[in-house]
Amino acid sequence: MKKTLSLLLCFTTLIAYCQDSIPSYKKRVLETIEIDFLTSYYSQDGDNAAVSGGIGTEELTDIASSIVVAIPLNDDDILKIDANVSAYTSASSSNVDPFDGDQPADPFVASTGASESDLWANGVISYSHSSDDRNKVWGAKVSVASEYDYFSIGFGGNYSYLFNQKNTELSVSANIFLDTWKLIYPSELRPGELFLNPPLDTDKRNSYSIGLGFSQILSKRAQASLSLDLVQQEGLLSTPFHRVYFADRDDIIVGNGFQLADDIERLPDSRFKVAIGGRFNYYLNEVFVLRSYYRYYTDNWGIDSHTASLEVPIKLGDKFTIYPSYRYYTQGAADYFNAANVALSTDEFYTSDYDLSAFNANQFGFGATYTDIFTKVKIFGYGIKSIDIKGSYYDRDTSLSYFMVSGGIKFVQD
Amino acid sequence: MKKLLILFIALGFLSSCAVVKEYEKVNINDPDMALSDRAIKRFETNAQAYREAASGANGGKTGGGCGCN
Repeated sequence: MKKTLSLLLCFTTLIAYCQDSIPSYKKRVLETIEIDFLTSYYSQDGDNAAVSGGIGTEELTDIASSIVVAIPLNDDDILKIDANVSAYTSASSSNVDPFDGDQPADPFVASTGASESDLWANGVISYSHSSDDRNKVWGAKVSVASEYDYFSIGFGGNYSYLFNQKNTELSVSANIFLDTWKLIYPSELRPGELFLNPPLDTDKRNSYSIGLGFSQILSKRAQASLSLDLVQQEGLLSTPFHRVYFADRDDIIVGNGFQLADDIERLPDSRFKVAIGGRFNYYLNEVFVLRSYYRYYTDNWGIDSHTASLEVPIKLGDKFTIYPSYRYYTQGAADYFNAANVALSTDEFYTSDYDLSAFNANQFGFGATYTDIFTKVKIFGYGIKSIDIKGSYYDRDTSLSYFMVSGGIKFVQD
Repeated sequence: MKKLLILFIALGFLSSCAVVKEYEKVNINDPDMALSDRAIKRFETNAQAYREAASGANGGKTGGGCGCN
């Protein structure tokens, strides 16, 4: 039986190889320049801000925009420039220093100081090359990201191999991010104020990741993929301005119930993460498509999580599609998570960041797209290929919820 | 790790069980059938990377490059 199976596998692989070796017409990988304009509005609220030790407003708004330009350099090569900017206003960030506003310190009211808002900017330049038979693709990228207290530079590479008449794809990718924090402590723990002991010994965070991918066309109507990400992070993995309140220390309350920090959060300087995800898409008929996704995640901080989502695009004619979606997420708490005033000063690691707590979350979305493959509508020599808009609502059982609207428009050069 | 290896080997077998010709890929090539997220989904994925401990295996950030996990 084993021999038969082995012979069968070899035979099928040989057929696939022979079929792939047949020379075919070489089509440009990308016909013309494509430009995507993308934007989003995000609004969040909750009562467990990590900046104020798990007690306080998490109100935050963010407006983000991206421009992605894909340029065909020749028949085989593509250069892509991806520029992003995001401006946010955060009530909890403003309480890094709750005393710099014109009202008494209050964990549920934003301070009006400098830390209330920030700008995040990011740029990625990537290059990809496809082989003549289009069965091999390799790429490389470099990225830079910056905000007031954070700077990052990243490098990455990827390789994909398609075979079995492009029914099967194997891919591998690797990325490195070298990040640097500007260490900003809660105002009461800065030099000259209360005592921060010991201060953080590094402002660096390095992340190394390897990704493996496999995708397969299963039939004329179904295809699936599997991906595996392995990530190792080292350095400063906590956030310097997240407060922690100990159970074995007296509470110091000022202003309108604002509790001064006993310490900042302390987390290990190493984290290993494993995420394995799968997608399965099924073309039900000319109206309905099913898009499903599942991911299992685990790390050595004690967190396990499951993510499952389903999206059902519904085609309304040739050009319009609407797509309702639902996503469920659940995670267990990190070993170091405690609610406010629960951790002990004798503990080695502690945090009251509810993003690391146990919770369940539901997300409901509704989107609509307009697609015109003939790009009849033109603006400045560029045709509109697609317009996409989506709204979603996220609700977590720790009191946090958010609402976001995203939109995008894709132009192609005539 | 052993289970993962078995899974990938099993998927290798899958690759030889179906061959859909190029001219039969009309439905597979439908934009809604893409095995990747829509372009505007990047903002959602980014928000989730900040608000949830898990990340990766979805085409988004796996860590690094932002103050998120």
